[in-house]
Amino acid sequence: MSGSMTSAPDRGRALWLAALPALLGLALLAGCGPAEVVVKGDFPTPLMQKIPITLGVWYDDEFAHHEFFEEAKTRTESSWLVRTGEAQVQMWDSLLAGMFSRVVYMNARPGPGQMNPAVDAVLIPQVQELQYAIPAQTSVKVYEIWMRYKLELVTTGGKPIADWTMSAYGKTPTAFLQSDQEAVNLAAVMALRDAGANFATTFTQVPAVRDFLQRKLGTAREASP
Amino acid sequence: MIRTLFRTLPPACLLALASGCVTSTVDQMVFNKPTEGVGDATVVILGRRHASDYDTEPDFVECVGEHISDGDGTIKVIGELEFINTFYPWFEPRTAPLRVTDLERLMRQPPVAEKLAALNTEYMIWLDGSTERTDSSGSMTCGIGPGGAGCFGFGTWGDDANYEATIWDFTDRAEVGRISTTASGQSYMPAVVIPIPIIAPVQGTACDGIGDQLLQFLSSTQ
Repeated sequence: MSGSMTSAPDRGRALWLAALPALLGLALLAGCGPAEVVVKGDFPTPLMQKIPITLGVWYDDEFAHHEFFEEAKTRTESSWLVRTGEAQVQMWDSLLAGMFSRVVYMNARPGPGQMNPAVDAVLIPQVQELQYAIPAQTSVKVYEIWMRYKLELVTTGGKPIADWTMSAYGKTPTAFLQSDQEAVNLAAVMALRDAGANFATTFTQVPAVRDFLQRKLGTAREASP
Repeated sequence: MIRTLFRTLPPACLLALASGCVTSTVDQMVFNKPTEGVGDATVVILGRRHASDYDTEPDFVECVGEHISDGDGTIKVIGELEFINTFYPWFEPRTAPLRVTDLERLMRQPPVAEKLAALNTEYMIWLDGSTERTDSSGSMTCGIGPGGAGCFGFGTWGDDANYEATIWDFTDRAEVGRISTTASGQSYMPAVVIPIPIIAPVQGTACDGIGDQLLQFLSSTQ
């Protein structure tokens, strides 16, 4: 009769010994993965006079789950994955709520025959491009994030009112005991705040938007007693 | 090994208590000092962040604010982050007023004017500058083995701090003072088993220098 008899602690030790190489292997593999940043921050509501229109907003899937991936070019660099989608939606929600009298979320992208709530215009923000720089890549001791947005203002039927591009930039200096990930997150939050500041201060100056607002608010003023 | 550790620990502790030397200069130019302090009004200290290659460090801004509050408890200093969040988006790097005359443009926004009046802000102090590493040299090697861990080597580096404070009077919409400070110092890190940092408090010295001058400007008791 052959067999083995091991007590429970012995069995546990044997299991650990068997699992150790696998765990070490997993740890090494994890070290090979890209540096990942899920951007998180607080975005204040703007302090300004609200534009008296009902604005619809549509975030398409690519925007709401926006992420940026850059593969390492050399063996010493690491790949980067920066997920900004959640923070983008959070920032734009907070910004638009402070800028307009009423903000309504659309059920679908505005288009002919599409069933959506009635609004004065619908804003569709999109991230066209995102670039980052960390001190390891540049001689400057700052972490930087640069973004370019494509903004569309359309009717509920999807007819274009205005479209324009807008850039945003955020940077943060190197700091003691700050990881690359923390610094890139902070730079992204700064870039998002800058996007909000840029939009809030230039929205009414975009020529097509200005014309639209003049028509809309002029009509509203004439209609009011 | 343990005996060596006990032999090196007391001098290590003594050395850690020492700090590197810092030289500092402060220049002040004041046009219109308040005669009876700031009273019930508040003061806000903000960092400039519009340059491409540096940012005024938030912890330096905080340090100057604390220096003023600690020196005179009657002066109410509003926190930088609290202020820029309250007035978002008007004090972001892109939109912050660069000249005192830009305040007029800001005050044309009724919600901003109302909020500033509610806060009773008398002075806005802008801090511009940074602390930078100028040079570093030396080398250190650290190892770990079954008997313990330790480092051996020597490192040294220099820091330069350069800051300017500009004081704006909110009531008169005028620049009423300018203070600049420079500080530089050399830090050392010898390591025999344990690394012993002898840090020159360059940024702290610059903070004290500019904080003392601002305290003299704002406080009725100084």
